[in-house]
Amino acid sequence: MKPLKTAILSLTHGHTRKYYQTLKENPKLEWVAAQADNAQVKAIFAASPFSAGVPCYDTAEALFAAHPDLEAVVLASDNASHCRQVEECARRGLHILSMKIPTFDMREYDRMIEVVEKAGVVCQIELELHHNPVVHRLKRLVAEGAVGRIRSIQATNITLSPVWAFPWQGVPEPSYGRRVPLAPGDRRFRGGALSDHPHIFDLIRWLTGSDIGFVYAEAAPNIRPEIQVEDMLLVNGKMADGTIFLLDPSWSRKEEKLLVPGPGWEVFPKRMEVNLTISGDAGVLVADCFGPNVYHNGGPNDRYTVQYTYFDEWIGLMDEFHACVRERRRPSIDLRWHRQTIAAMNACYQAISAGAAQDVAA
Amino acid sequence: MKPAVSPLAPNPAPAAAPAPIADRDAALRRLLDKYRIAGEGRIVADGDGWALATPAGNRALLPWRCERRFIELRRLVESRTLEDVSTLRFAALDHAGSRSLRAQLLRELDLCAFVAGAEVVSVFAVCDRERAANVVAALANGVRASVECSVLLPAGNRPVDRHEIIARRGVGSDRVVDTQVPQASIYAFGAGGERRFTDTDAELYGLGEDDVALVRAAMAVLQGAPVAADWEERRRRLQTQVAAVFQSDQTRSRVQV
Repeated sequence: MKPLKTAILSLTHGHTRKYYQTLKENPKLEWVAAQADNAQVKAIFAASPFSAGVPCYDTAEALFAAHPDLEAVVLASDNASHCRQVEECARRGLHILSMKIPTFDMREYDRMIEVVEKAGVVCQIELELHHNPVVHRLKRLVAEGAVGRIRSIQATNITLSPVWAFPWQGVPEPSYGRRVPLAPGDRRFRGGALSDHPHIFDLIRWLTGSDIGFVYAEAAPNIRPEIQVEDMLLVNGKMADGTIFLLDPSWSRKEEKLLVPGPGWEVFPKRMEVNLTISGDAGVLVADCFGPNVYHNGGPNDRYTVQYTYFDEWIGLMDEFHACVRERRRPSIDLRWHRQTIAAMNACYQAISAGAAQDVAA
Repeated sequence: MKPAVSPLAPNPAPAAAPAPIADRDAALRRLLDKYRIAGEGRIVADGDGWALATPAGNRALLPWRCERRFIELRRLVESRTLEDVSTLRFAALDHAGSRSLRAQLLRELDLCAFVAGAEVVSVFAVCDRERAANVVAALANGVRASVECSVLLPAGNRPVDRHEIIARRGVGSDRVVDTQVPQASIYAFGAGGERRFTDTDAELYGLGEDDVALVRAAMAVLQGAPVAADWEERRRRLQTQVAAVFQSDQTRSRVQV
């Protein structure tokens, strides 16, 4: 199949750099251009060894004009920009790989579905865990009956906070889409850790084959009292099929306030974790999607640190994207599938505000 | 000039490990004798928990409050090694023949209070009958806790638990970073496969961790130790909290306790 001419826009999302290697090395892709939303990210891109030979434009319009044969874009931007970018790309017939939160505004969300389907373009949502080998094994074990009928799932998607390197993630408007107080009398606003962590809401849907029935959530005191969005929260609830769940999507691992992520970012040894406990009638699975690893306490801080040994989900993610474009099929995580995940996350915010469980629309 | 000292006689026998204790009531009697603590009792199961059966009646036991790892986790908070605790993440998985779901909830809810130094004031729980419970709890000092309890582990498997404290400054846990299950002190790889041993109490060498905690708790009760001063009342309060968990599940509402 001919390589897919692909560009990456904005460069402001925390996952931006994870695409560089596969865009460069995957022979199914031809990385033709990048666009930077500001001078700082443009400079960071220019400093990357992967940027060699990839022109970087200041506006999407300039990029589109310079590359009329462009076929696909990766939207590496803040959440509030996605709708505008999806509309523009769909209008141009460009296939889209969007970051993991298309939008929290459900009217905007439905508008995105409409324009994408009308244009007949692929719009895949970046939920890279589906290309993680431990998740492959988990899905297979569950399908083979290793735990029997699932009764309870506990899952963590806990990380350090990206707000120092990617400031928009600590600002309500670009992250959540608007400024909404977390709860009456709470000085914090929606747009923090919950807005960054959709994966486990999605995974419990895949593992159970069921929709989310209702959620309850509470925000704990911030461990970063200086930020204006939530960083610690807990969620429980029940699937439509009766499976109960307990989720932690917090930013509970502290970080050094680096402007560019790199060695020494971690304060807590392990900067990111997706762990699951799946309990069923016939057994229990306890899984670490990112372990085991190697460990050191060398530079730059002489601090015990987990050095991850594998992070290759973006390879499979882009392989799927390419295949969907060339074979004209829907990705496994598209806007329609992902809608209930976003609805559940919105319901968590509503639960925090109301102090009561919230049903989640199917 | 110092007078000549006769050399020490050689030790007639090399140092040997003490014989492992198998009987926890006998272990309790031995400790009471050693430390000259008046009183007697037998450790008995009592509903969803444990009690010390004494001639004057049953005395409630909360053995986890005498377990070293929980004492140390509490100390991390009390000493402000961890500053400004935000969230507790606790989990306990076992099989139904070992411990009931209610017993697990009682223990884990009490551990929230013990470690964080504040009472649980509300719970929102989602339960799968008496098999599993996922609880979001609020404590009086603003700390939140997630408590996952389950008796779905098939018999024959070791119980799995985890207790993590997340604070503005620091994270404490009884589980090593990047691990999911309890570690053992000794792993013996033999022809019959792997055996594991974890011995945490030299005076009670031979007893498992749960029995060590029970014996230490019984001793604390008979000693009149401060840690055990309010266990009767605490147990009643905890039973109310456990009832609130199931009430919350049935009503799909947050329940104040």
